Amino acid sequence: MTTWIAALRSERIKLGRSQIMLLTIIDPVLCAGVGLLSTVDNGEGAWFGLLLVMTLLHAMFFLPMMAGIFSAFVCRYEHAGGGWKQMMSLPVSRSALYLSKLLVVTGALALSQLLFFAAVLGVGLLKGFDLSQVPWNLFAVRMLGGFAACLPLAALQLFVSAMWSSFAAPLVLNMIFTVPNILVANSADFAPYYPWVQPMLVMMQAGGEYDFGGFTLPLLNLMITVGGSFAVFAAAGLAYFGRKPV
Amino acid sequence: MTEMMIETRNLTKKYRGTRAVDALNLAIPRGEIYGFLGPNGAGKTTTIRMLLGLIKPDSGVVQIFGQDLRKDRLRILRRVGSLVEYPSYYGHLNAIENLETSRRILNVPKSRIDEVLHTVGLTKDAKRHVKGYSLGMKQRLGIASALLGSPELLILDEPTNGLDPSGILEIRELIKRMPQEQGITVLVSSHLLSEVEQMASSVGIVNQGRMIFQDTIPNLQRKAGSEIHIALSDAETAMITARELGCFPRLDQGKLVFKGIDNDQIARLVTALVDARHSIYRVEERRKSLEDLFLTMTGGGSSDAASADDTIASGAPRAAGLRREAAQ
Ligand SMILES: Nc1ncnc2c1ncn2[C@@H]1O[C@H](COP(=O)(O)OP(=O)(O)OP(=O)(O)O)[C@@H](O)[C@H]1O
Ligand SMILES: [Mg+2]
Repeated sequence: MTTWIAALRSERIKLGRSQIMLLTIIDPVLCAGVGLLSTVDNGEGAWFGLLLVMTLLHAMFFLPMMAGIFSAFVCRYEHAGGGWKQMMSLPVSRSALYLSKLLVVTGALALSQLLFFAAVLGVGLLKGFDLSQVPWNLFAVRMLGGFAACLPLAALQLFVSAMWSSFAAPLVLNMIFTVPNILVANSADFAPYYPWVQPMLVMMQAGGEYDFGGFTLPLLNLMITVGGSFAVFAAAGLAYFGRKPV
Repeated sequence: MTEMMIETRNLTKKYRGTRAVDALNLAIPRGEIYGFLGPNGAGKTTTIRMLLGLIKPDSGVVQIFGQDLRKDRLRILRRVGSLVEYPSYYGHLNAIENLETSRRILNVPKSRIDEVLHTVGLTKDAKRHVKGYSLGMKQRLGIASALLGSPELLILDEPTNGLDPSGILEIRELIKRMPQEQGITVLVSSHLLSEVEQMASSVGIVNQGRMIFQDTIPNLQRKAGSEIHIALSDAETAMITARELGCFPRLDQGKLVFKGIDNDQIARLVTALVDARHSIYRVEERRKSLEDLFLTMTGGGSSDAASADDTIASGAPRAAGLRREAAQ
């Protein structure tokens, strides 16, 4: 257990004073812009309306992109400076190393989600919405669910990033699969298994007749699929990493 | 009975059907500086990566500190410091931060960082980003991080790669001190025998994945053998004189060259030659350079004639040095 914490603390040093965390700020700032320009009015269901409007860019684009970028980033310096062999010559298990990287990625995604949440509240207050009307339960489900739905993609991207020594290649892959999100979301059969669209599916269900395609699925089923795909990708990544020749 | 720090049995690694390491048996006793020699592509780095568990052997066993690497990898690695092929570094961090990434896992006091930086002479540049370091400085950082955990066994793959002559000397002296001052056993790879010869107590020579020689440096030097060269006025007739005394030299550029000849024979021979009115210009002992022996063993070519020329050109100081050592 202590070596697991040590591995995580070692990762912390490697992040250094890098600018990567700026990404977690750009996302809520842009989404806040979208929210402020939107026509959601004060009144019945205003907070939820605002959430849906702001979530589109965040869940469809920023979350998957960030999952890819953070994953590529935590592997970047090892690929560039030969750090894999140094890390793996230290008395720490490969799974501890891998999971600490995964934890850094998920931590950064959690932070993004938190900042996004703050942005939604901030925009609502600026628009003069009543804070006492915030549907906290619904918001909590969306925020936590959306975060959880990023995890399979984070695990998948980390796997690819650890395998490919190029920093750009996993990002290009991620971009290619993120772009068709809006189309994929239409398919109720396919969408739940598509890691890039999962955050969007969970976060953007509007309820009732407004939903279509993948958005009609019950949240519980979605979360089971999310959990299952996370387990598969994380296990595959761990198995690969444990045998990776360096 | 000496305790083996590293022992491999039939260690083998194949890449696309060819054996990069072929049934290698290493045996490195405690307190040695073991020079691991071989030409480019011989399999040194591949072997070292297997010793550290970075790659899996296709067959064979690695034992370090008498423990099986497959079973006790982490416990073994805690006591091993290593530098493989190129130094690893995080360019966006300074030297202290770089070492800190390892220190947190090794769990040694923070003061170790200053100590190892001082040891490799990087204290002055410790706060600079490592991406701005020269190759030699990165190499020093690599050695510093190998030393960080106060290891009992140091595995260094071409540690002087990229260092300037004074850096090479410094690192060599550093390595030489390890067994004496701290009881550390060192495995150091190189493709230069001349370099290893100056620090190692024993050597293993690999070629095409196979161990072709493993012994102490003095034994290697003995194997190199020596020749007596006599330069004189008329070599052809002198040959006849020599034969009459039961010595059978070969003729080489107007000199007589004797192999395996003892002091008595030389004395008698010189007397006879002087009596026969030869002018003797010089009598000298030439030790075949170890580099030549190495080349011969690893199939890199070099004939006796070439070695003699080499001795004249550049090998002379070394030959003298060897003679001195052999006399001790
Ligand atoms: N990952 C790999 N894939 C394919 N072949 C490899 C791989 N690693 C090493 N080899 C081959 O194994 C052989 C031994 O390589 P190795 O790097 O161990 O040599 P070396 O003794 O360290 O040489 P050098 O003195 O140049 O460092 C070489 O023929 C090399 O081409
Ligand atoms: Mg090598």
